[in-house]
Amino acid sequence: MQILSTDVAIIGGGAAGCYAALDLRKRGIEPLIICKGLVGKSGASLFAGNLVISGRALGNSEENARNTAEFLIKYHNQFLIDQEWARRCGAWIEQVYYPELEELGLYFRRDDDGNVVTSPGAIRSIAANVQGNSGVPFMDLRRKQILRAGIPKLEETVATALLRNADGAVGGVFCLDYMTGEYIAVQARAVVLATGYSDRLHQRSTGTREMSADGVAMAWRAGATLVNMEMQWWHTNDIADPPCWQRMQVYPNPMLGSNKSARMVNSLGEEFFNQQQDDPLAFGPYTVQLKALAKQVRAGKARYDGGYYAGFDHCDAAEVDSYTTYGKAYRQLGLRFPQQLVETAVTSHYRQGGVDVDTTSMRSSVPGLYVAGGVGGHSNGLIGLATYDGKVVSDGIAQDFDGFSSGPLPANELDAERRRLERLRNSSGTRISPIKLKEMLRGIMWDKVGVEKDAAGLQSAIEDIERIRLDLLPDMAIANRTPTANFEWLDAIDVVNMVDACDLIARSSLQRKESRGPFFRRDFPATDNINWLVANVVSKSGNSLRFEQRPYALPIFRPGFDTKNNLEVGW
Amino acid sequence: MPAIAPASGASQLGQAENRDTLALRNTRLTPGDTIVVRVRRYDGADARYQSFKVPYRKYMRILDALNWIAENEATDLAFRWICGSKMCGSCALRMNGREVLACWEAVEPVMTIEPLRNLPVIRDLVVDRAPFEDKVAALEPWLERNAAYGGFPEPLSHKQMKNASKALDCIGCMCCYSACPVIGLGDLTNFAGPAPLVQLGQTALDPRNSPDKVRRSLALTGIFNCVSCYKCEEACPAAIPIVTQVIEPLKAKAAELVPAMAGHARSLRDIVQSRGFVDPGALVLRVKGLSALANLPRILRLLIRGKINPLKTFLFVRTAASAPARRLLNKKAAAP
Repeated sequence: MQILSTDVAIIGGGAAGCYAALDLRKRGIEPLIICKGLVGKSGASLFAGNLVISGRALGNSEENARNTAEFLIKYHNQFLIDQEWARRCGAWIEQVYYPELEELGLYFRRDDDGNVVTSPGAIRSIAANVQGNSGVPFMDLRRKQILRAGIPKLEETVATALLRNADGAVGGVFCLDYMTGEYIAVQARAVVLATGYSDRLHQRSTGTREMSADGVAMAWRAGATLVNMEMQWWHTNDIADPPCWQRMQVYPNPMLGSNKSARMVNSLGEEFFNQQQDDPLAFGPYTVQLKALAKQVRAGKARYDGGYYAGFDHCDAAEVDSYTTYGKAYRQLGLRFPQQLVETAVTSHYRQGGVDVDTTSMRSSVPGLYVAGGVGGHSNGLIGLATYDGKVVSDGIAQDFDGFSSGPLPANELDAERRRLERLRNSSGTRISPIKLKEMLRGIMWDKVGVEKDAAGLQSAIEDIERIRLDLLPDMAIANRTPTANFEWLDAIDVVNMVDACDLIARSSLQRKESRGPFFRRDFPATDNINWLVANVVSKSGNSLRFEQRPYALPIFRPGFDTKNNLEVGW
Repeated sequence: MPAIAPASGASQLGQAENRDTLALRNTRLTPGDTIVVRVRRYDGADARYQSFKVPYRKYMRILDALNWIAENEATDLAFRWICGSKMCGSCALRMNGREVLACWEAVEPVMTIEPLRNLPVIRDLVVDRAPFEDKVAALEPWLERNAAYGGFPEPLSHKQMKNASKALDCIGCMCCYSACPVIGLGDLTNFAGPAPLVQLGQTALDPRNSPDKVRRSLALTGIFNCVSCYKCEEACPAAIPIVTQVIEPLKAKAAELVPAMAGHARSLRDIVQSRGFVDPGALVLRVKGLSALANLPRILRLLIRGKINPLKTFLFVRTAASAPARRLLNKKAAAP
């Protein structure tokens, strides 16, 4: 086993993790990145389609600025957000984020005359190089910054456990380099979780291959408090087939340089959503779309897993192709573009909830454990917000740095974790392969913890998950015990985390007795601002869970009603 | 399934491929058909091919077939993928001999799947990315500004960024690196390879970068070892015009900023311009100098095979093509 030592171990190589590492390094605090995939190439940040212009940046009017803030708080978080954090974040994005990125060389798309191309309308956005693909050059820039700064990184290395010192503080991370099979223990004075919010826990999910709720599960096992785990965003118009394109979206957001965006039609060819006409303020109108789709599904004109279509048949090809990548999927499927539409389906996307944090420092409830980006429960993320978290966590750690303990790695915990992983690699049960078990869990989540939920379904999901935990996890079978590039072994490690996360999501869903934004309860169809404009907080209490409610302050925007049928609420 | 007639002669070469449209690739199979997937397995010691029968489903990609195999037939099949939608560039492999992204390419009725070339194989289809990443890192592909940054947004137009913007579509999948015949020569040249050059082009073709920085990076590329065979462009799943919009502009920059690198290319150009044809004797003399004359056995061999003609070389024989050659080359040079 390799033992490494650093000031701060950062788990995750996306927008939040990279920025935290770079900012800590600037302060003279030594970071080390542990990335399950490849830094800048794995996780959700890569999928940033375009970048929202906040505040007064780039000629934004006062009206634009206000719309953007309202969008973030209302459409993006359904008021389950610290509005003061949102205000600070918006100001930082306006004043620091864009100039810093451009100074580093990020190419904000211009036209031939040198104007930055924007989408017109109530909320404006820009793109890095090309709309639909902004995350690629953005994260590639971060990857190269990490390289240039010489920040050490462990890639294709999975963090399997947070290690706790004798005083209970998190002081290290247990890792497995799954390409070589080598165990690595990282000793650190603090740990930043930056594992994102897009886990593959449903049959259809935008989460990338490696995302299996490791962050949430590790934090939970280390004793962290979680919040709003039931608040799950859905993409309404991701491509139905082929399966591996399930995370490829027909973006409903306004197009750069045009006043049009994708439209959606039901199985009869009737249009049921067009952002520009239906809700110009819903810049990322995912939830508004989902509600429109729910009505189609109930009318028998679409299904959540297909039977409706999206595309650009109301646009010229040149209009779409000038600044976007949107035509590429259609053409690759041999469809005529833009005349033909593609069949789309619902996909689970961001989880809005996550680890409960103090938004001024990104401290979790466990000493030594910090959080940045989507794995936090403080906001639904955008790449700008996740980056801001990277800055705030660096502030928080710098502030707390002198108080950190730095004991030796606890030998008993190291040994226990090594033995747990060895047991998984030697799984010799008779029942099921880890990859099948993953699919089984995703099927349960899709059927019973999917778009539309109710108490009976959630109870049944909790029972199914418990059966998996007790009967199937101990009886997994692995075909090959090689330590080298053993993805089967990795699946076995993942699925343990998925079981914990799925259980927490199902139980948290059962707890929230209302419908809000993308969270639909058949048995509680109303949005209830009297009782449920609160954080749904869950923590460990002995061997059981304890749920608490914590109200949100509403200093800037308010919902303006007490209760209302969620499908009739405009956000 | 419509049959594709085999090409019956040179005049028909490429036509079968041309008829193989994207529409055809996506409709030649229908759900319920069975495809045959032959996969190269490798465990660090032995390599073998293993065949699987996979049920086709609508619009199936190679990655879907591999995932089906991993779920149902060979749970220990090792293959790398992250995003499944042509953004991360981690799932590149070879299908029936050509480099493709598994997530992007439609399955074929019968296909052989192998790992990328020119990189060490770790297991099955997983290659070691390190040699590629090391080459990219050595080129230090980032921006160094001569002048202070003036604030957002700075003056910059897409016209100026036209080539860099194409390079920015690169997802680092290494398809071109596997397809490149010069990289296939191993250590015989110091050629960085197409993908590292595209990575460099992202900032080296950016007008904001300092020429001194670009010069230092270009000096390490061995770029004039590129033989302009266009294999890289053909393989690129991001459809980057790698030769025309990245390597050629970088060569032009190298010729300007590091003239010593371009000795061979400049000599060739001068000879074609002044003489109207490629005179190999003159080229060798210009590039190697008089020391080339010391290798007598070689000179004899070249003479016997008619590769060189000292008479033409030393009498500076010209052909009528020299005038149009000069006109064309100067026209190209004057173009923006």
